[in-house]
Amino acid sequence: MKYKAVKIGLTSLVLAMTFGGLLYTTMAEGTEYYKHVDEVMAQPDAWYGKKLQLHGFVVPNSIMKRKNTLDYQFQVQSNGHVVNATYTGVVPDTFKSDSEVVLKGVLTADGFTTQPNGVMAKCPSKYEAKPGGATAPSGKY
Amino acid sequence: MASLGALLLLLSFVTAAYAVAASVAGARRRNTRLIESGVGAFYTVAALMTVASGVIIYAFVAGDYSIRYVQRYSDSVQPIFYKITSYWGGLDGSVMFWVFLLSLFGSVAVKVNRDRHRELIPYVVAVIGAVEMFFLFLMIIHNNPFATYLTESPTDGRGLNPLLQNFYMAIHPPTMYLGFVGLTIPFAFGMAALITGHLDDSWLRAVRRWTMFSWFFLSLGLTLGMIWAYEELGWGGYWGWDPVENAGMLPWFTATAFLHSVMVQERRGMLRVWNVSLVIITFLLTIVGTFLTRSGVVQSIHAFGEDPQLARYFAAFMIFTIVFSFGWVIYRLPLLKGRHELDSWMSKEAAFLANNWVLLFSALFVLFATMFPTITEMINGERLTVGPPFFNRWMVPIGLILLVLTGTGPLLAWRKSTITNLKDQFLWPTLAGLVVGGIVVAMGVRVWGSGLCFAFSAYVMGTLIQEVVRGANVRRGMTGTDLLTAMIGLVSRNKRRYGGYIVHVGIVLMFLGFAGEGFSRDEQLLLKPGDEATVGDYTLHLDAIRVTDDGQKQMVTGHITVKDQSGAVLEIMKPAKWYFRKHEEEPTSEVAIRRSFAEDLYVVMPAFEIEEQTASVEVHINPLVNWVWFGFGILAVGTGIALLPEAALGFAVAGAPAGAVTATLLLLSLLLPTGLAFAQHVETGQDPRLEKVTSPEAREVAHKLACWCGGCSKLPVGQCSCGHCAVERAKIDVMLKEGKNEGEILKFYVDTYGGSQILSEPPNSGSGRVVWLMPVVVGLGGFMMAAFLALRWSSRRASVAGMPAGIEDPEMAARLNDELRNLD
Repeated sequence: MKYKAVKIGLTSLVLAMTFGGLLYTTMAEGTEYYKHVDEVMAQPDAWYGKKLQLHGFVVPNSIMKRKNTLDYQFQVQSNGHVVNATYTGVVPDTFKSDSEVVLKGVLTADGFTTQPNGVMAKCPSKYEAKPGGATAPSGKY
Repeated sequence: MASLGALLLLLSFVTAAYAVAASVAGARRRNTRLIESGVGAFYTVAALMTVASGVIIYAFVAGDYSIRYVQRYSDSVQPIFYKITSYWGGLDGSVMFWVFLLSLFGSVAVKVNRDRHRELIPYVVAVIGAVEMFFLFLMIIHNNPFATYLTESPTDGRGLNPLLQNFYMAIHPPTMYLGFVGLTIPFAFGMAALITGHLDDSWLRAVRRWTMFSWFFLSLGLTLGMIWAYEELGWGGYWGWDPVENAGMLPWFTATAFLHSVMVQERRGMLRVWNVSLVIITFLLTIVGTFLTRSGVVQSIHAFGEDPQLARYFAAFMIFTIVFSFGWVIYRLPLLKGRHELDSWMSKEAAFLANNWVLLFSALFVLFATMFPTITEMINGERLTVGPPFFNRWMVPIGLILLVLTGTGPLLAWRKSTITNLKDQFLWPTLAGLVVGGIVVAMGVRVWGSGLCFAFSAYVMGTLIQEVVRGANVRRGMTGTDLLTAMIGLVSRNKRRYGGYIVHVGIVLMFLGFAGEGFSRDEQLLLKPGDEATVGDYTLHLDAIRVTDDGQKQMVTGHITVKDQSGAVLEIMKPAKWYFRKHEEEPTSEVAIRRSFAEDLYVVMPAFEIEEQTASVEVHINPLVNWVWFGFGILAVGTGIALLPEAALGFAVAGAPAGAVTATLLLLSLLLPTGLAFAQHVETGQDPRLEKVTSPEAREVAHKLACWCGGCSKLPVGQCSCGHCAVERAKIDVMLKEGKNEGEILKFYVDTYGGSQILSEPPNSGSGRVVWLMPVVVGLGGFMMAAFLALRWSSRRASVAGMPAGIEDPEMAARLNDELRNLD
């Protein structure tokens, strides 16, 4: 009985350590920081080069598109902090002035470089309008 | 209407409480009449919930917009089909729908097993009743779907979100719920077995079918969700490891594990603690799933309701369930001792055990990764996220291990496989795997995951074919018929086993589809009319961008001629953007898909520029993707066969309708993907617009104030669209910038307006706290009352008082009672 317990204990230990190790190594390259624009832009140099998911609102009328290309330049803000962002590719339908977006990419001194397919516009409430949140209706009845 | 509905919910709560109390007391006192009355009350809850559902559906169809929920999720122009499905379109209604289904399922389960598992029934009723009470409690105090506007109700609703006005989305939630709710039944039986100590295998027989039935609906729900994502969202894929998807996946893993390990207990009397724990964990994961997606604990790109209060209720319920159920497991450990030990690692038992570990690990891993942002935020305040690549890195190898086990389990013998046995069994399947593996290497397939998947699939198919052919050969020898007849005879003789094999064939086909994703490619193009571009083997030629209008919507359609390498025209594809009247701000992208079993050509036109005359076109080539849907069809057939009632067993009630349902749904699942790709998007809803002007903090404060403009039935200032509120929001913004905190701002408003009526919620201090505490106290009181009654009615003294009128002498009655007890 005792022998069995030791065996099981050792096996679980080895398994747990293997998984822990694997998890740690895969985690290092898989993780991204989820930040709001103001959190990042309060001290931008601390975030240079780190993989980010940047949450903010598109500054009204800041979206510019280079003619005959899919290159976009726009600004994203939250709580008064603004960052310039670039993106090449097709943007989602809901990406427009003032829409709430999450950008995946890297911050550099020149601004935020969004990775391919890295623009995610928040859906107009898939299930529920957030009480008090950004998707609360300003509606007309 | 609204008061009738609210009353019905209250009545349901009280009746469920009585059912719990009466059946527990009845079981402890062995009073059949009390038990009967508990069961009666239990059925009554189902009846009451049915009527309540009727009421809310009526309110939707009749357009009773004084009910907040109805106003929020429907409007007058919505087609009647979507008016009905709006029932589960939002949180409050989906909780109610949940209770409704649970009460129905519970009643059927109790009815079917009433005679066979007489000793378990009272506790089954009590457990399901308690779960019903929790959800009813939530509805009554927190998410009442019958809540009304206090004054001046709006004349029309806001409409169901257009994204949800889609056929798949209408039937996807109910199928998921059928699966989730169905898994409460095995839990109830497991708990009843633990509490009564009747821990032989009879409770397993009662729940096996239910688990299979629920498992099927869970699989169907997940598949429908995938089809919806694939055809509607236009990003070219079908699974993105989103928290919501993961939530549905979690109980699927453990339910699958249970369906396998249950066989080990039936055959060998092993894994008893494991099985009962799996049932409990599966139930918990269904609750965790709801909790994750509804409470805002995990942030998703989809805006879910953030509701800390709901989170607390759920957390309390889960902690209680964990302590209570595992407490019983620990208490009953001596009774749960297995009859046998594992004889050898070269046995079926061991393969099932390995399969269980991997499945449980998958569930825990997905749960961990889904919760990861929340966990890191709790630990160091930084929200770190993990994306699909991280999930894939782990889940691809795990999936491959499971696939190998699928092919290995059937080849091993129970107890111990001998060497000759192994050689004989493994030869052909392994050869099949090696040959395909060799071909894959020779062809130079670079994606290792997909390559392995092809080889393993061949191995599994080898196993399954070998099993069926060998079995059929034996049968042919016995009956003297041809091989095909023998095969059919074989399947009908042992439905569960061969049904299971057919399910495995379906799983293999789905894995082929998943493997195909490794070879998918996508490209983004910018085309002018007349331009041509080549993606893979296809050449796309943009003929024109046409604008048409059908009165309901304006359609901008790209006409794209697709040619193969030789230049022959394959098809004209028409991806489009639709601008619905009143919804011009939110165009929908209509996907064009050219399907084949080899690959899909998937074309989207997300944007176009009228001035430049250009269209952005996204092209995805998705190899083998249709095998996922097709595999699911096979899986459904297999489940149907496994669920068919066996003549000797009388579980027909659970089996027969499930079989019929399976057949129908199978037909549906085979027809849907082809037929309806373009026939959707009946948008009538009015969409919530993003609120922009104020900062999130100001909005938060504004939500704590009620608007008194008179036109909006006292919506929170943060929500109301009147001019007054816009000004107030701006004021709050300014005050926040001046450094005032929330408390000071609210106090300013209370002072200005001379009372706390200006607050949209009662203050959480002083007398206001009573308002907050009241519902919790009342609800908890209900639970405690039920527990108290159960104990009191079942105590000795009370039992004497409750004796039949014929026995006057209390002493005599007590003796009789004792003797009766000793008889059992």
